[in-house]
Amino acid sequence: MDSFSSPSSGSSPKFSTDDIMTQLRTQLEQAYAEEFLETVRGKCFDKCITKPGSSLSGSESSCISRCIDRYIEATGIIGKALFNQR
Amino acid sequence: MDPSSMNSPELQNLLAQEKQKAMISEMISKLTSACWDKCITGSPGSKFSSSEANCLTNCAQRYMDMSLIIMKRLQQ
Repeated sequence: MDSFSSPSSGSSPKFSTDDIMTQLRTQLEQAYAEEFLETVRGKCFDKCITKPGSSLSGSESSCISRCIDRYIEATGIIGKALFNQR
Repeated sequence: MDPSSMNSPELQNLLAQEKQKAMISEMISKLTSACWDKCITGSPGSKFSSSEANCLTNCAQRYMDMSLIIMKRLQQ
C-alpha cells in the first residue's frame, strides 16, 4: 500500500485526523477502482474476445459494452443479496 | 493536544471503521467475481435473465450459509 504523502508546507509534518482519514479514503477508492477495472477487463476478455482477430469486431465491441454494464449490475445484486438476508 | 498523534482513540476508531468497510468491499468484490463465473455462463446480454439474476442472489446467500457452517464446524 502507498505511504501517505507529507504536506508540502511546514518543516515538521503534523497530520490532523481529518487529513489522515481523507488520504486513506482517497487511496482506498483508487485501489478499489483499479481492482474493479482489472476484474472487469479479465471477465469481459474471457466472455467477448474468444477468437482474437486483427481488430475488434462490432459484435466484440457491443459484447464488451454489455459485459461492463452487466458486471456493474452484478456487483449491485451481490451487495444487496448480502445485506438483505432472509 | 497533539493533532498528529497516531494513537488517538478517535483515529483508531475511524481506522477500525474503514477496515470494516474495506473487508466488506473485498467480500463483495470476490463474491461478484465467483458468482459471475458460476451464473453468467453465456454471452452477456442487454439485461440479466431472471434466472441469471436469481442465480447471483442465491450464490451470495448460499456462500454466507456455507461460511456459517464452516465457522461452526471449526469451533467444534
